[in-house]
Parts: sequence; structure tokens; C-alpha cells
Amino acid sequence: MSKVNIEQAKKIVIKAISDVLKRKTKISEDMQLIGGESLLDSMKLVEVCLLLEDLADEHGFEFDWTSETTMSKSRSMFRSITNLAEEFANQSDV
Amino acid sequence: MIIVTGASRGIGKAITERLIEKGEEVFGLARSVNGLNIKAIECDVSDYTSVKNASREVKKLKKPVKAFINAAGVASMNMAVTTDESTVQKLIQINLVGTIYCCQLFAPILLRQKYGSFINFSTIAVALALKGESIYAASKAGVETFTRTFAREMADFNIRVNCIAPGPIQTDLLKGITDTQIEKITSQQIIPKQFQKSDVCDLIELLIDERARSLSGQVLNIGGV
Repeated sequence: MSKVNIEQAKKIVIKAISDVLKRKTKISEDMQLIGGESLLDSMKLVEVCLLLEDLADEHGFEFDWTSETTMSKSRSMFRSITNLAEEFANQSDV
Repeated sequence: MIIVTGASRGIGKAITERLIEKGEEVFGLARSVNGLNIKAIECDVSDYTSVKNASREVKKLKKPVKAFINAAGVASMNMAVTTDESTVQKLIQINLVGTIYCCQLFAPILLRQKYGSFINFSTIAVALALKGESIYAASKAGVETFTRTFAREMADFNIRVNCIAPGPIQTDLLKGITDTQIEKITSQQIIPKQFQKSDVCDLIELLIDERARSLSGQVLNIGGV
């Protein structure tokens, strides 16, 4: 199992989102992933999660994207790219 | 490949046999796989970790999953006031929670493919509000609602979710039910007769077929209500 640090995790998450959005949008770290301003609808969010699951697999760990707070604007790992990257990095270290 | 839960007994077993007869590759999930002549793994659908492990194993096979059939289930014919606590828990945990676990934990495999079908099982007791089946019917009513809403969540990914609601089909679940009681139930159906496991298998064949592409979020009551 390899630990993914936060900077690597950000790159992984940005790449996953960029792939899902077909590279049509510039992605920034503070980009909101859920809610009104989000570029991702629920379908695209699921596609990002599936990609992250595959990328986690490559790094030797399982990315669990089920969470009680998934769609919570205040606590969700999907609040921003940074939050999602932090969660991805944390799960790589379990 | 088609995955069937409860593949070792009752309707699940009949479905498995029919699909094999039709040339499908069937992968079984059952609490006990002893004596099963298909590829299968032990799985207790009421246990999240057990279902999660089963989904991991299936994912490793890297085979397209055409359909996932949630046939595992338990029944108890009893008045609510005379049903003990453990039976209440068991009915909800296996019938409702087990169906939810299987759908949510196997969904990523079908989501990746962007096609496939989930088929869940309810009972005609839900639509008929049959006396003496309140807890069982409540667990299956949950399955029906889950089916309809889950179907909407899956629709964007070209995944269909439907539910079959049989009347009294001759399986172990009907042990202890008299012919008179069965007739009393079937007489309330639009087609007032007892249907067989083969009728359920016919519907399964229909629902997994591409020609059923317009059907999702539906509850098909066998015999009609």
C-alpha cells in the first residue's frame, strides 16, 4: 500500500474531474463540487468517484465514496477539490 | 454474466436453472454454496461486509454483468402483534436492507459498463395488504419504493431497475400455508389462479432482455392487482 500525499491527491482528483469534464474547463483547487455553483451534476460526480476508485486501485488501496455526509454542503468530502483530495489521501493511509 | 442472490433455494434456484438452460453464465451468491453447480460465493446479503467482499470478488472477474437479481429473501406469515422481535429484525434486514446493500455495492460495476439491469423481489401482499403478512409486506414495500427511486438514480447510466411481486408461489417460503389460504389470496388477483416458479422465470427473461429497455422503476405484480 502506498501513501498518497495531499499534493499527489490533488493532482489525481483534478485529473479525474478534468477527464470527466472532457478537459473543457479549467479546474481550480477551491472549485465547488456539489451545490448550485458546481460544474458536476450528480451523474458526473459518480463518474469522478468511479475514476477515483480505479486510481486508488492503482495505488493499492480502496477508495470508499459512500459517506453519511456525501451531499452535505458543510461537511461533505465533495465540498471542494481540496476536501476530496484530503479524503483520498487519508483513505490511502488506512 | 448474471448474478443471482439466494441462488441455492426457491425462486433464486429456479431462476438460476432457467438462465443456465437459456445459455446464460450465472454467478450465484448464497449463504451456503455447497451443492451449487455454478460459480458461486458465500454471501449473507444482510451483512454489509459480506456483500462488499462479494462485490470485490465479482469485480476482480472483470466480466460484464448483464443483470443482478435480488432473489434472496425470507417470509413470515404472522400478525404483527404476535411476531417476535428477532423475526421483525430478520425480515427487514434480509428482505429490505439486503436488497439495498446488494444494489448499492454492486451498482459501481454496472455504472462503469453504462448498461445492465437490477431485478428486485417484492410480494403481491404489498398491493393487497394481506392480513397476517404485515411485517413481511412492510419489508417488501420498502423494496418497491427503493426500486422506484433507485431506478431514477440509475437511469442516466442506462441501468434499469425493476421489481417482481409474485403471489403465493410454491417454495419453502409457503411452508405451513394451506390450500384454502392460498386460494383466498389468489382470488384477490386480477387473474385468480396460483402461478408457478416458471412464470417468475418467464418474467425474469423478459426483464433482462433488451426488448424491455422501456421498463424501469416498475413493480410487476404476478396475477395482477
